[in-house]
Amino acid sequence: MSIEVTGLTKTFQAPGGDVHALNDINFSVKTGQFISIIGKSGSGKSTLLSQLGALDQPTKGEIVVDGQDITRLSGSAQTAYRSKKIGFVFQQYNLIPNLTAAENVMLALEFGGVPSQQRHDEALKLLASVGIDEDQAQRRPGKLSGGQQQRISIARALANRPSFILADEPTGNLDTETGKTIFKLLHDLSRSHDTTIIVVTHDLEIAGKTDHTYQLKDGKLINYKK
Amino acid sequence: MNVITRGMRGAVRSPLRAGAIVIMLAISIGLIVAMLAAKAGVETKINQVKQTAATGITVRPAGINGFAGGGDPLTAAQVATVSKTTHVASTVSTLTDQLGTTDTNLTPSLELGSFGMRAQRFEGSSDMPMPPAGMESSSGSSRTLPTPRTTVTGTTDANSVAPNGGTLTISPGITIDGHANDNQALVGTDLATKNNLKVGSTFTAYGQTFTVKGIFKTDNRFQDSGMIVPLATLQKLTDQTGAVTSLVVNADSSDNVATVVSSLKSSLGSTVDITSEQERAQTSVTTLASISNLATSGVVGATIASAVIVLLTMTMIVRERKREIGVIKAIGGTNIKVITQFMTEALTLTVIGGVIGLGLGVAVSGSITKGLVDAQSNSTSSVTRPSGPGGGFRGPVGQFGGTAQRGLQAITSSVTPATIASGIGLTFVIAIIGSALPAWFIARIRPAEVLRGVE
Repeated sequence: MSIEVTGLTKTFQAPGGDVHALNDINFSVKTGQFISIIGKSGSGKSTLLSQLGALDQPTKGEIVVDGQDITRLSGSAQTAYRSKKIGFVFQQYNLIPNLTAAENVMLALEFGGVPSQQRHDEALKLLASVGIDEDQAQRRPGKLSGGQQQRISIARALANRPSFILADEPTGNLDTETGKTIFKLLHDLSRSHDTTIIVVTHDLEIAGKTDHTYQLKDGKLINYKK
Repeated sequence: MNVITRGMRGAVRSPLRAGAIVIMLAISIGLIVAMLAAKAGVETKINQVKQTAATGITVRPAGINGFAGGGDPLTAAQVATVSKTTHVASTVSTLTDQLGTTDTNLTPSLELGSFGMRAQRFEGSSDMPMPPAGMESSSGSSRTLPTPRTTVTGTTDANSVAPNGGTLTISPGITIDGHANDNQALVGTDLATKNNLKVGSTFTAYGQTFTVKGIFKTDNRFQDSGMIVPLATLQKLTDQTGAVTSLVVNADSSDNVATVVSSLKSSLGSTVDITSEQERAQTSVTTLASISNLATSGVVGATIASAVIVLLTMTMIVRERKREIGVIKAIGGTNIKVITQFMTEALTLTVIGGVIGLGLGVAVSGSITKGLVDAQSNSTSSVTRPSGPGGGFRGPVGQFGGTAQRGLQAITSSVTPATIASGIGLTFVIAIIGSALPAWFIARIRPAEVLRGVE
């Protein structure tokens, strides 16, 4: 799955005047690539992920995924796009606290249209693939470590075999060692599943290990490394 | 796990808060059920009053009031005229008489007292003052000494003797056929006790043998010291064929009472006194209607309070879990799924509160109904008049007097299937109204806020 971003602009209206969070962004990503986007806090990294994930409408520009401009999709089509074609990994994990690890993954499977009788086994397989055993799968997020929660978050993102994963500071809340482990997990997934991964990070060491790195500065995207 | 299961689990995510909400809802829904039960009880009473007192008209021979006064009883022809009058649905005819000690082998159970002695002071002599008991007068003639008597009511419907216009309480035994012409009798509790009468016992009156069919109780000593026999039997034994001392007429509708009264006055003229209890019944119905309205207000108020509780609770929950909602939408959850989940949460809390509230409402409905009735009857007691004519066996005469007012005290809550169904229906209405605004909030939450929040 390829992503082609052309002239993407997002402007917020603020009391002091318009703020251009994204200003004429242009880039493309090929299938199976592991891309990182770095930038200072407030540089628009998460805004860019929101646009790519069809969570927000750009002020102008196009995001063409496999030949289809997702900015022109209806609300329900965007929801279907999110549930089947992309997976999100958040810095703060964003797991549902009163559901077990397995149920959190099953939730994404439900939205992806997986039949109810298959969801539990599928969730356990996905959790096992990110290193969560059956005992841990039955625990609620509050009973698991940060690293384990992020693994569950990745399993949830993988639930519907998405074409690409959008990861927003996936190691931001983890210690260095756990962060490296999670990064390696994402890296391995991109290789083994041929999944396109776009990760936003502050960590230049991690960014240095991706296929390509972009830097967001003043709303502009520039090549950081080739 | 589906969206419904998630919603149900979400409802008890915080047990302490869920418990507090359920208690508040249970109290409100309990109040709704109690008010509905009170309203049902009052409306049953309103219908009863409308069907009895509101259509009742009393026709008495002019000048006769119980055993006091003078004049001629109504004749069979007059009774027939009344029965044939347009809009007359039914009539109950009554003739009363008193048995002296020589007329029956029964011992009166009512003491004569000074009142009874004065009432008999003219009997047995023309215009002589009554000498002391057991002494002869100066003329040498001996006067009949006053003696206690036993009242006999001949009626076409034994229930006409019952208090409050209801059904006569007969235990043991069965009622008699008021249209029969045989020697069967119902005897009052006091008279039965005094003479050791039981169902099947016999006694003598008017030189005939009567069989006790049942023993009735009215909690009125005068009535419980008397007996009831078929009207035709008493008319025959007292040589008053066709005579009636009181006639209760029921119009076919409360709307036609005035027309019937007018017709009867026209056809019977000045030989009778005609009284309608419609006005007094209307006062009672108004009082009852005000209780019903109060209960309705209670239902509406408690429903609004419950809906507000659910509304505020769900609004608070949705605001607290805005991030979670954003995440669910971000991973592909539709607005409908998220709204269904939170509506299920609201419904779960409301249903739990509703089940407890139903039990609570049923338990307290009696007390609340009594409280409402007491409050209303106290405020309207000034319009209540004493009932029944003085002296005579009250019978159907004046049976409506104060009936509705006394009936107020007899109102009980009525927990019917309809009450329960209404309670359940309102519970769902509460959940739906209480969830509407939070659902709107949910639909407006944009998942991008989740990502923006972590930047």
